[in-house]
Amino acid sequence: MSALLKIEGLAVSYGSVPAVDGVSLEIEPGELRVILGANGAGKTTIIKTIMGLLKPRSGTIRFDGESDLLRLRPHQIHQLGIAWVPEARQLWNTMTVLDNLRMGAFEVRDKAMVERRIGEMFERFPRLAERRHQLAGSLSGGEQQMVAIARALVSNPRLLLMDEPSLGLAPIVVRDVFALAQEINTMGIAVLMVEQNARQSLKVAHFAYLLELGRVVEAGPAAEIAGKKSVQDVFLGGSA
Amino acid sequence: MDLFLQQLSNGLVIGSTYAVVAVGFALAFTVLRVIQFAHPDVFMIGMFTGMVAAGFVPGGGLAVALLGGAVGSTAIGAIIERTVVAPLRGRDVLTTLIATLGVSVILQNGMAVIVGPDPIPYPRLLPARFYEIGPVLLTLRQMFCLGLCALLLVLASLYVRRTHIGRATRAIAERPDVAAAFGVDVRRVCQITFWLASTMAGLAAVAVGSLYGSASAFVGLLYGLKAFICMLVAGNRYFEAVIAVGLALGVLEALVTGYVSSSLRDAVAFFVLIGVLYLRPNGLFGSYAT
Repeated sequence: MSALLKIEGLAVSYGSVPAVDGVSLEIEPGELRVILGANGAGKTTIIKTIMGLLKPRSGTIRFDGESDLLRLRPHQIHQLGIAWVPEARQLWNTMTVLDNLRMGAFEVRDKAMVERRIGEMFERFPRLAERRHQLAGSLSGGEQQMVAIARALVSNPRLLLMDEPSLGLAPIVVRDVFALAQEINTMGIAVLMVEQNARQSLKVAHFAYLLELGRVVEAGPAAEIAGKKSVQDVFLGGSA
Repeated sequence: MDLFLQQLSNGLVIGSTYAVVAVGFALAFTVLRVIQFAHPDVFMIGMFTGMVAAGFVPGGGLAVALLGGAVGSTAIGAIIERTVVAPLRGRDVLTTLIATLGVSVILQNGMAVIVGPDPIPYPRLLPARFYEIGPVLLTLRQMFCLGLCALLLVLASLYVRRTHIGRATRAIAERPDVAAAFGVDVRRVCQITFWLASTMAGLAAVAVGSLYGSASAFVGLLYGLKAFICMLVAGNRYFEAVIAVGLALGVLEALVTGYVSSSLRDAVAFFVLIGVLYLRPNGLFGSYAT
């Protein structure tokens, strides 16, 4: 099968400081892959570069075999079917839950379709339906994460980028979030997740990359990566 | 009591014009991250193009003046956006501030070359009629000015709250990257926002010109400063807060004029600014982090 997203030799710097240094990775349709790494490993940089928010120094990013994402602006990348669950959620706190979801499919002209998709989200997340007219900033962390995920799904993407979805959430909510990522994936949406929570994310992922200081140091099926000593030392040693 | 009500009404008329200019400032700042120091001069250009349009079309009067004001201010706003603001996109806020300040100097002095440095008479556009509403006496020109500005402010508020593209302007104001990543063409929305702010200013300018019966190339100096202060005092989180502060400033100035001294009037805005910045540096109603 050909890759849905294929990144080759990606290098991104902030000024003269390299954040991502020659990363190659890919994801196939319907897969769930995770990029593991500590703070500062370059995880968020990769996600933001895919989304078109950062310009790389070198490298290529291809989507669906054809589109060269580096030539596109963020809103065009979104139109190709790539949606983003940002780190720390980044909701529009001064907008209602409903307006956050509406903004999730801003460019979709078919309003009836958008409203139907939002209805489906409210069915899946009844808590959000109850709070649809509340400001997103007033919700709990777990609820906000649900809004962030629902907002990304409203546009019916083919690839979902999840940037540390477990960050800052209560342990019980963290479990829900990973289960949800798996559920989204079984619906046929490819999920590329970056995480620090190796134990949980390796349970749901098919394939994993280990990122250190901007380079991929390990790559392989999730079960295999979970067994690596380097991974156990760094991520699984004694942590929940 | 009668004096109070009279000054309250006069203040609301002037305050509504401050609010229109201040909302334009606030839109440019929150959505484009640009301190558009030439915005009051866009207002000034609208005032003059409205006057010229009214002069060219015999019997056209008010409607033609408004159209001329709107077209002139929108055109100059679009030119500024295209030639100054868009090329500097993503630069430091200080860079665009200096650039728009330069545009402001060019527009003011360019107009002064054409019409002279002193105020010139403005066509009154509406008959000199008075209306007594209870104890309050208002001229037709005052009522028109207040009505037009109120309409513009209500429309602006409906635009950002209720329309699809208006929602995108708020989304950009709060999180530009996220808005872009969810399908908003940020450059396009910024452009439209800039145009609309300019259009509003031009329409209000014609009403102001008619109200005072005079126009000056330097009307933007004090006007812009006060509108800018309104934005700082309100904070940029809620457009409605900017409107409320604009109205309140007009009323406060009118009350100071009525009860204290008209020579103190123009100092009021600065007292308010200093007090608010001392107590609430992010403005009375809060600002977005930048």
